[in-house]
Amino acid sequence: MTDVLSHFLNPRNVGDADEPSFTGRSASLACGAHARLSIQIDERHRVSQARFRAAGCDVLVASASLLTERIAGLTTADAASLAQEPETLVGVIQHREHCPGLACDALLDAIREYSNAARDDWSGDEALICTCFFVSERTIEQTIQTQGLTTVREVTSACNAGGGCGSCHQLIQEILDTHDLP
Amino acid sequence: MIYLDNNATTRVAPEVFAAMQPYLTEFYGNSSSAHTLGRTMKQAIEQAREQVAALIGAADTSEIVFTSCGSESDNWAIRGALATQPEKKHIITTLVEHEAVRNVCRGLEKDGYEVSWIGVNERGEIDLDGLSDALRPDTALVTVMLANNETGVLFPVNEIGRIVRERSSALFHVDGVQAVGKIPIDLTNVDLFALSGHKLHAPQGVGALYIRKGVSLPSFIIGGAQEQGRRAGTSAVANIVGLGAACKLAQEDDDHSRIRALRDALENGILENIPNARRNGDPENRLPNTSNISFEYIEGQNILLHLDQFGICVSTGSACHSTTHESSPTLHAMQVPYTAAQGSIRFSLGRYNTEADIETTLRVLPEIIEKLAAMSPYAEVSSGRREKL
Repeated sequence: MTDVLSHFLNPRNVGDADEPSFTGRSASLACGAHARLSIQIDERHRVSQARFRAAGCDVLVASASLLTERIAGLTTADAASLAQEPETLVGVIQHREHCPGLACDALLDAIREYSNAARDDWSGDEALICTCFFVSERTIEQTIQTQGLTTVREVTSACNAGGGCGSCHQLIQEILDTHDLP
Repeated sequence: MIYLDNNATTRVAPEVFAAMQPYLTEFYGNSSSAHTLGRTMKQAIEQAREQVAALIGAADTSEIVFTSCGSESDNWAIRGALATQPEKKHIITTLVEHEAVRNVCRGLEKDGYEVSWIGVNERGEIDLDGLSDALRPDTALVTVMLANNETGVLFPVNEIGRIVRERSSALFHVDGVQAVGKIPIDLTNVDLFALSGHKLHAPQGVGALYIRKGVSLPSFIIGGAQEQGRRAGTSAVANIVGLGAACKLAQEDDDHSRIRALRDALENGILENIPNARRNGDPENRLPNTSNISFEYIEGQNILLHLDQFGICVSTGSACHSTTHESSPTLHAMQVPYTAAQGSIRFSLGRYNTEADIETTLRVLPEIIEKLAAMSPYAEVSSGRREKL
């Protein structure tokens, strides 16, 4: 709880990441809170800068502040997997279980924006599907064929694709559907 | 500590504590007992009854019945009024009532009663025409508050009571909890009137219900014959004595012109010096001690917690501590925009506030607001630019 109070009273990394940056948002109709988190990603796919804004309770502010500190220097893949476990940020606080989740949702939204842009900009020979772990379409196809995979979850555990922000799950499913054809 | 949350509760006045003390030590009898000690307790209760009657202008002391709190008084008034008129199934109340009235009426809706919820305008003033039009032959009860707990805005209960009497046979209950001790009370057209001790420097755990002579309510708490058989349960003599002493203090030492000046200094200081701050509620027609200010695009709970770090106690209409969406129904009814309702802070002053309290608050508040505005996701609030989600 000390961490929560300290980060609430003196939130770190308030504001917007320098351009070029990717911004994610989240809001809760349940409590009226609203968060915005922006990240800058370097050429090694690592978070070089993370900033946030929030209008919400102390737990949201503290969670967002902690999150921006935790993801500094992480790859987008590691940052996205961190965001899948909001309960590790400030622990579970009764009646505020959803607040850290809001901060994480904003981060995942920002990573998704980055992923979509990265896919568009991808200059490799093969189509890039998972931009968090940089897994190409060909790798995914080969994995599906050689291991006889049928679900996105199996693909993720086999080659990491889809293990980050989740924005490529639809694409992986489409590849699976193609392979399902008789 | 700077306590600006007097609408939540108040400090027990030293005069009140002194009056109570003997009834927590040497006078420990049961007021129903026939021996001398019991009669001493009984006398103390009757003196308190006179003091309460005097403050609110009840014609007869027997019209005052002691209860455990304002909520009990409200619950009893509403359910009791309905019980005396079983053939009538319609209630009129407002959208801005305290939970002790609002939630009782909501429950009654489920039990088959029809409730007309009267709205307010942007200044928090009641829709009198709407209330008048809602009256029907089967209206059992009209229940409204005198002073709003969040904004301090006053309803014209004298006029409402006149309308109710002229156009219907309904009983008229007033929730006066937030008003007693702060403004003069006029019971001319009122049948039932609830008040609570801890809002006027008596301890928590005691309230009263005014029941106009001629109106008879069935008991809410069933048991012994205390309070002339109207409210069972051993009388909490020390608390009742405290309520009486608090009423006497409020009557003899009305501090509210001073409190009003402090409130105005605080409010003007905020509105003049802090961008995107707006007052909620009619500036004239309200309690002298209450100021409700919205700091737009900022979360009220954040402001509250930062002020708390400076030992300044306020409250907020925002409910982000809750998992359900319950942002202030009062501000919602006044059509305060969502981004402003979320950032609402209620400053409620009292007898023990000083000029220094206000100066300190006005010194620390702008920095807190500036810091939180810089964090607002509603874009560059400080530069006046607006961006929505």
